[in-house]
Amino acid sequence: MILADFGTSYSKFLDLDSPDPQPYIKATKELDRTLKVGIATGHNGKRFSASYVNELIALARGGEALIEEDRYLLLDCGSRDIKYIRYQDGKMQDMGWNAECGASMGFTIELLENYYNLDFNKLPTPSKTFSVTCGVLGISNIFDAITSGIDEAEAVASFVKGIAINAYRFAGSPDKIYLSGGLCDNRLFMDSMPCEVVPLGRFVLLAGLEKSHQLSEAK
Amino acid sequence: MNMITSDKDASKILNNPELSKVGIVGVPPLSIINILHQRHLEILDLDAMLVVKDMETTVAMLPRVYCAILRTVVLNAMHLKLDAIIIDIGPGKCDGALHVASVLEDGLNIPIIRTNNSDHEPFGNPLCLAKMDMTEKLLAITERVKSPLIQENPPPPCRPTVGFWGVPPRDFSILGLFPDTTNIYGWTRCMENKTPADNIMEAQVNNDIPTVFFAQTFCAKTALARLLARKHPQALYLDIDVNTGSSAKAKIQAFLELSGVEL
Repeated sequence: MILADFGTSYSKFLDLDSPDPQPYIKATKELDRTLKVGIATGHNGKRFSASYVNELIALARGGEALIEEDRYLLLDCGSRDIKYIRYQDGKMQDMGWNAECGASMGFTIELLENYYNLDFNKLPTPSKTFSVTCGVLGISNIFDAITSGIDEAEAVASFVKGIAINAYRFAGSPDKIYLSGGLCDNRLFMDSMPCEVVPLGRFVLLAGLEKSHQLSEAK
Repeated sequence: MNMITSDKDASKILNNPELSKVGIVGVPPLSIINILHQRHLEILDLDAMLVVKDMETTVAMLPRVYCAILRTVVLNAMHLKLDAIIIDIGPGKCDGALHVASVLEDGLNIPIIRTNNSDHEPFGNPLCLAKMDMTEKLLAITERVKSPLIQENPPPPCRPTVGFWGVPPRDFSILGLFPDTTNIYGWTRCMENKTPADNIMEAQVNNDIPTVFFAQTFCAKTALARLLARKHPQALYLDIDVNTGSSAKAKIQAFLELSGVEL
């Protein structure tokens, strides 16, 4: 059985029938439109499977599978949205999903990195933070800063830091965040978070699908 | 004490022989509902979605950023040919309704009766406690706002597995996600009880069951919903504007599943 997390920019797969199941990634725009998988989650998931697990459930089950503590906050930063699950005493306590301001998340960060030809793993964390409550308005901060003589890389870094702060506040300003999603590979974003960050990588939702599958098999 | 419009003026409007179709907003005092029934007038609950018209047509009368239920009231009032509107503007409804009453009076050429419903005789809330499809349950509760009679043969209470706190949503599509064993709290319970200004009843919750605290976006009740959710051991706070997005539905589904609620 193939499990898949169909994201806006990238899709992640895990083939449980392979001898040594290892997750892999494909660009969503390159997927075969007739593809069918066993269980799907993610923004585009319903098109590709008869069995769909919603993203918040997949994220929560992924946290249960990967995090040993019984009190934690797990934040998933995707291309177009952010969502979090907060557990206390091993039980879900709170959750949030901001799908409306997705312009300020991963997609925009990747777009800026490519447009300005930057490497976010090499940029230092800036002292200045742009207030980013909307991606589109946030980008105008970059243009204003560049016009006022600030270096392009520094301006973009301030924007990325603003997005990180926004995500942190959305998650309730915790002391520690377990981070899920492609931004785990973005050192600038990680270092811009004003709290301890534990990166779990891109495959947390796949781990959640695997756990959901195990739970339904056990029933 | 239930009337803002003078008794004399209200009586003149309600006894006008030309009166046929009356819109109501909120829960009118029982004395008014009795008169409407005695006269066999058609009662239209303007808080509910009664017309299929573009919400944008209300922009001439109300800001876009406003409670979706009150925008629906204005939309209904604009497109239904009403003879009068009875609108509760006291603490049993909201400050928004107070101002919407002025907007309706200014924009429509029909009499507006303003009430301040402080009825405190409890009618009970058996529907809120019953095992019943949630959409059917909310439809039944909102329909009963037009009746002056105590419900005959009320359904028995069920063992609740989840709670829904709040007002009847503008968009009923979220209700299909809840099991039949959902108990209802908040203003909806006050509504069925015909005591809409009972803020003690409105704040009652059951800490033993996971509960969704719902309010319309831009409604003052969002503050109470968030406060109660913060104090509840297993809560989901949710505010929704005109229509329910997929993320709001996903939150409810996830909350119910992760709370171990049998669906």
